[in-house]
Amino acid sequence: MFKNSKLKAQKNLVLVTFLIIPTILISLFVIYPLIKLIFLSFTDWDGLNTYNYVGLKNFKKIIFDSPEVWSAFKNNGIYFLFHLLFIPIELFLAFLLDNRVRGCKIFKTITFLPYMINGVAVSCMFIFLYSSQGGVLNSMLQYFHLNKVRWLSDPSIVNYSLTAVSLWRFSGVHIILFLAAFQSLPKDMTEAAVIDGANSFQQFQKIVLPNIKPVVEIVLFLNVRGALQVFDIPYVMTGGGPNHASETFAVQTINTAFQYNNFGMASAMAVVLMIIIIVISIIQQKLFNARER
Amino acid sequence: MQGSDKMEAKIESNKKTSFKTIKKKANGWEFLKVLLFVFIAAIVILPMLITLFASFKTLPQIGSESALKPPTTLNLENYKDVIKSSHVFVGLKNSAILVVVSVVINSLLSTMVAYCLTRFNFKLKKVYLAVFLIGMIIPGTVTEISRFGLMVNLHVYDTLLAPILIYAGADLMQIYIYNQFLSQIPISVDESAMMDGASYFTIYWKIIFPMVLPATATLGILKAVDVLNDMYIPFLYMPGANHKTLSTMLFNCIQDPRTSSVPKLSAAAVLVMIPTLAIYFIFQKFIFSDITAGAVKE
Repeated sequence: MFKNSKLKAQKNLVLVTFLIIPTILISLFVIYPLIKLIFLSFTDWDGLNTYNYVGLKNFKKIIFDSPEVWSAFKNNGIYFLFHLLFIPIELFLAFLLDNRVRGCKIFKTITFLPYMINGVAVSCMFIFLYSSQGGVLNSMLQYFHLNKVRWLSDPSIVNYSLTAVSLWRFSGVHIILFLAAFQSLPKDMTEAAVIDGANSFQQFQKIVLPNIKPVVEIVLFLNVRGALQVFDIPYVMTGGGPNHASETFAVQTINTAFQYNNFGMASAMAVVLMIIIIVISIIQQKLFNARER
Repeated sequence: MQGSDKMEAKIESNKKTSFKTIKKKANGWEFLKVLLFVFIAAIVILPMLITLFASFKTLPQIGSESALKPPTTLNLENYKDVIKSSHVFVGLKNSAILVVVSVVINSLLSTMVAYCLTRFNFKLKKVYLAVFLIGMIIPGTVTEISRFGLMVNLHVYDTLLAPILIYAGADLMQIYIYNQFLSQIPISVDESAMMDGASYFTIYWKIIFPMVLPATATLGILKAVDVLNDMYIPFLYMPGANHKTLSTMLFNCIQDPRTSSVPKLSAAAVLVMIPTLAIYFIFQKFIFSDITAGAVKE
């Protein structure tokens, strides 16, 4: 009895000492900004002066009177869709990298390499590749007697060019996550299937896939979250141009806040973004689970 | 006897040929797979190689030569110019401080939280789990709108403390992954230590923390790379010239006409890439062998 109460006191002591700093930091830098963000979204704060409560005006303006916000959101859609289409490919590549291809060690290293490179440096590299004067891609096109493409200055192409950079940089992360999931599967599981004569495809479909479902769900969620807040690739490479054609939701939100000092409006945009992320994640998860059943 | 010998020989040769065809088939498939990955490797490596080549060339050479042509001389002018006209070493120093401090604090705090969440039941546990869920849904980039004012009020704006507080304190994703690792360590490990008279603190520090050390290596490296490569937070919170990191320094190079030409920008990009690539190649063993849950043996 005595020992138990002593243990309990010890437990409480551990809980308090271990959790106090993280709790303070999380409340200060996650919870408080979130509450303040929601609060600010109902105001017209300009970052300096006192603010007025404006009700739903910001949200009304975003939904009914801001075509630029929705065209930015459409750009995010391009990132989302292409990254989503790449997920089956990434799964397949990860499956091969799990000791099913010769030299998988070195290929693993290479696959994850782009993620390790500084995002701004990646942008620098691709600015040169895409450049309309002497850019590498255009000289390649010229070599095959094809017309030059204005990769970063044609409004109808720029988003695809930037999405390609995003795919180049981030696909490796998904592959490594899938690979980690594959490798954490007990080996005897697939071995048993091999003995029973299952081929690679059957192994994959019947044994591997159901067992890595949680990781697939995480990747799907990360994809929504990542694609909807693409920021540094367009911000560094095009600055959202030409003529706002490559602005993403996050670029626009940040510009609204820090360039035009319209913090109230920007906060409302941030809230809208959060709601969209939650809604799409839920829909996606429902679809994913429905397919399984 | 002769007949059976022949028969055996025939069976033997049959075996050989069938074995051969299987092997051949496997080789074809094997070859295709390797080819696929060679193609991917080319896509990954070529942009980097082109950048490396360009960093040694002069501007006229860039215009006239193929980008894939290796430089003929090891011309270091671009590197010298970049180092002279931008804050490479300041960036390197600041990035290094941010990385070390953030990784150490973050791995301690995250394992401590994960320890509490996986080992104890307490009143606020559900609240914590809910907070983590919310925290992971919140898009980081846009919450800076309301976090910005807070940083100014805390008087950490344009100091290294601002990014450290953000990087070290609230990485919910890492806590989540640590949770997974810790919940795989059987509780019997704790119990047997307890029998030997270990306190909860001892169990955490002497048993749990060392057991997840492989995971810490992996997560720490990933965190280090994240911090090194992040442009947004230092860009927002540390605009001062003395507080440039490698990323913001490079972003400045793009905008500065002295360094925005292709060869100079390439040189700057190569310089910025070196630290993360070095970390990657030195520590990749941790990233790949221990990223798996196999690191935590049951």
